[in-house]
Amino acid sequence: MDFELTDEQQLIRDAVREFAETEVTPIAAELDRDHRFPYELMPKLAEMNLMGMPYPEKEGGAGADYVSYVIAVEEISRACASTGIIVSAHTSLATWPIFKFGTEAQKDRYLADMASGRRLGAFALTEPGAGTDAAAGTATATLHADGYALNGSKMFITNAPYADVYVVFAKTDPERGARGMSAFIVEKDTPGFSVGEAEHKLGIRGSSTPPVYFADCRIPKEALLGGEGDGFKIAMQTLDGGRIGVSAQALGIAQAALDASIAYAKERVQFGKPIANLQAIQWMIADMALEVDAARLLVYRAASCVDNGRPYSTEGAMAKLFASEAATRVAGKAIQIHGGYGYTESYPVERNYRDAKITELYEGTSEVQRMVIARSALR
Amino acid sequence: MRIVLAYKWTCDPEEATVRADGTVDWSRAKPGLSAYDPVAIELARQCADAVGAELIGVTAGDAGVAAPIAAKAALGRGLDRVVIVEDGSLADAGRSELAAVLAEAIRHIGDVDLVVTGDSSVDVAAKMVPTVLAGELGWPAVAEVTSITGQAGALRVERAIPGGVQVLEISGPAVLAAAADAAAPRVPGMKDLLAAAKKPVELLELAALKISPPDAVMTVTGRARPERKARAGQLIDTADPAKAAAELVTALRQAGAL
Amino acid sequence: MSVNAWIVVGDQPTVGNLVTVARSLGGPVGAVVAGPRPVAEAVAGSGVDKVVWCSAPDNVPPEASAPAVADAVAADPPRVVLAGRNPGERVLLGAAAARLKAVVLTGARSVAFDGDDVVVVNAVFGDIAEETVSVSGPVALLLDGGPAPSADGTGVPIEEVSAPPLGLTVIETRTHGFDQADLGAAHRVIGVGRGLKAREDLALIEELARAAGAEIACSRPVAEGLNWMGKDRYIGSSGARISPQLYVAIGISGQLQHMVGVTGAETIVAINTDPNAAIFKQADYGLVGDLYQLVPAITAALK
Repeated sequence: MDFELTDEQQLIRDAVREFAETEVTPIAAELDRDHRFPYELMPKLAEMNLMGMPYPEKEGGAGADYVSYVIAVEEISRACASTGIIVSAHTSLATWPIFKFGTEAQKDRYLADMASGRRLGAFALTEPGAGTDAAAGTATATLHADGYALNGSKMFITNAPYADVYVVFAKTDPERGARGMSAFIVEKDTPGFSVGEAEHKLGIRGSSTPPVYFADCRIPKEALLGGEGDGFKIAMQTLDGGRIGVSAQALGIAQAALDASIAYAKERVQFGKPIANLQAIQWMIADMALEVDAARLLVYRAASCVDNGRPYSTEGAMAKLFASEAATRVAGKAIQIHGGYGYTESYPVERNYRDAKITELYEGTSEVQRMVIARSALR
Repeated sequence: MRIVLAYKWTCDPEEATVRADGTVDWSRAKPGLSAYDPVAIELARQCADAVGAELIGVTAGDAGVAAPIAAKAALGRGLDRVVIVEDGSLADAGRSELAAVLAEAIRHIGDVDLVVTGDSSVDVAAKMVPTVLAGELGWPAVAEVTSITGQAGALRVERAIPGGVQVLEISGPAVLAAAADAAAPRVPGMKDLLAAAKKPVELLELAALKISPPDAVMTVTGRARPERKARAGQLIDTADPAKAAAELVTALRQAGAL
Repeated sequence: MSVNAWIVVGDQPTVGNLVTVARSLGGPVGAVVAGPRPVAEAVAGSGVDKVVWCSAPDNVPPEASAPAVADAVAADPPRVVLAGRNPGERVLLGAAAARLKAVVLTGARSVAFDGDDVVVVNAVFGDIAEETVSVSGPVALLLDGGPAPSADGTGVPIEEVSAPPLGLTVIETRTHGFDQADLGAAHRVIGVGRGLKAREDLALIEELARAAGAEIACSRPVAEGLNWMGKDRYIGSSGARISPQLYVAIGISGQLQHMVGVTGAETIVAINTDPNAAIFKQADYGLVGDLYQLVPAITAALK
């Protein structure tokens, strides 16, 4: 069992870190303070081939392995959690279902542009009344002679309104619950499709997550992704992979909080010496370092399962559950180590703390992850 | 046209510590491409792309410079192929020895029109290997280069001089050391890094290069950690800027610094 | 006469320190000059025993005469060849070192003979350590050039050689409009770092410099990345190294690469908003606070 990264994985980590430090870190605080989407980063991320990393080169992606992709999300998130989720949601939630379930025509139309980062994607499943209970969605897709008419509203849609391509879930057969749900590909300027007001959040404020509305939104028959009734299955399988991306985001946030705490502890002098000399601080740092390392092992292991063609549903759930809860704990301890200064905007740990919490909530709450793990353990 | 980029794979002294006996402990340092080499690679790549030239990396050093990760790191930055001389005896090589080895590697490649190097290496920072290399090859050398355009046999070079910039024309092959800020190195993209493994790596045996032994032999007879002047570290309270200023000026006048 | 030490010179006669070191080794000292004739004439009065001048057309830079310089040095091979730290002289020294197959050292703190060996105390790896080395053959040294000699009229004869220069010609020279610095001669220097928010704020620093009778310098990013000052003003391991009576570091964090340039300063003052900045441990006086308030206050206190 080799726990070392390959040469390519190390070089990718170094390059993404260099990119993140040069292009992302300088604007991270401002994105958070101004609730601003980093539109200027989108072409730069695309040029670095960071927007479709795990997809084959012939499809427009970088042809990287999943571990490399996860390392990239981690390094970006270490600089800015908002940018990290923009990349992860685009790559794992929006591009993947088209890659996996799309017809040749659909892949021709969307995949190269999305895997190369020329067009940004979004995933629209959640509704005001349907979060964890995704099958309870009330958005409908009614078949007419010339295509489908979508009606309903979705909320917390990461990357709207900047995304060009939306994978939208709606019921073609409302009577059948989950089995009545279908998936559709909707393009940005389709009449009847509109985006609501920005959501003001505790954290990941640079990530735009408004509601989107469908009012007799007409899309062609060819916009159906997979078969009618396949939607719920497509959504669940997509989220299985998406949660590995979120676990990498949580890992990046935790690493940032740990790095900041180590630097601060070495420099902050109280009672005549750096607080890093105090056992209380040392034990906190030890626990934080351990949690970050354990999270890393789980995240990379889940990514490794993807690379080896092995099932990854449970492993992904474990990585996401552990990394997200660890990120919250580590960020909380980071503020504690910084003392009063940690509570101010002068230090980045308060942002890490606010960013960490979302990782316990989206792409499957921690409760959902526990359900997945329990189901596997109790088989 | 054929351009050679001489690079270095080495550790940053920021990560080294000096023991009380003056020996340097590199054990916590991780080797990488020398800090200013990506700038040189970027400058050379732009020049090569403009004329369709081949850009070949060359390096020489002790164990590790031929490791796959070292070659891929250099290739991923934009080199077409690399030629490497790895030999344990080069661990303590001086500037002249390294320059002699690089000169032989360049002769081995053949038909080279231009050699580009970084401003200086991150560890030794002598700024002499490019100039001794030029002496070995019998070619002109120019340092502080900020721009390279033109063809083989008719290169147009800009270099920084005190007070401004000088434009030179060079009628034959040359060695050019890029200024540390000559270009903004692009960060290698994911495709570049993954493609690096497929690019050619040629290893040359030092013994096969027939380098004549140097006339001068250098022996290290002593090592020390330099004395640093002890600084008082006296903090002046700045709650009232005018008061702080007065206190500082008084203290400096008394110390004879003003 | 058989020269014991050669000094190679480009287009500036800044050789004061080189002559002192060469003379301290004993034996005849020669200088090879590849630059305009006035430079050769100035060097002829600097205290050397002979001067060889490699003449070349006006539009040819000193680097083009590197083989001629190497020829002159090799014709009378020395134990030591020295040059100053500037780009042109590094090229000339490199050519000589290649021809002599000499050991090249660039951090010499002291040079002396010990029997037949040249013994050099050499700073290594960005000055973090020192090695004492003993060399059995020729040594090429890069050192601070030192001041230009005073024009006192007397000088040794100049032997002119005109070898065909390498194909290198100057087409154009453009000035960038920055004032040139003479940091080495300044008793008081004020260094500016990235703590300064905008280029316009240099006016504050200039006022302070005038009131203190100081030269202005900077950390590397201010000269290179930001380009707010000429590159001859940046202090650091790769830039200027100075030993003034007073160095005031404003908005500078105190990284190794910068501080190596001022370790010789008599008194160091630091002004920075970050109480944890490394510079405070390397300063004699520290002011933790806003430079935009403290600098004007100090300027006023000086007047």
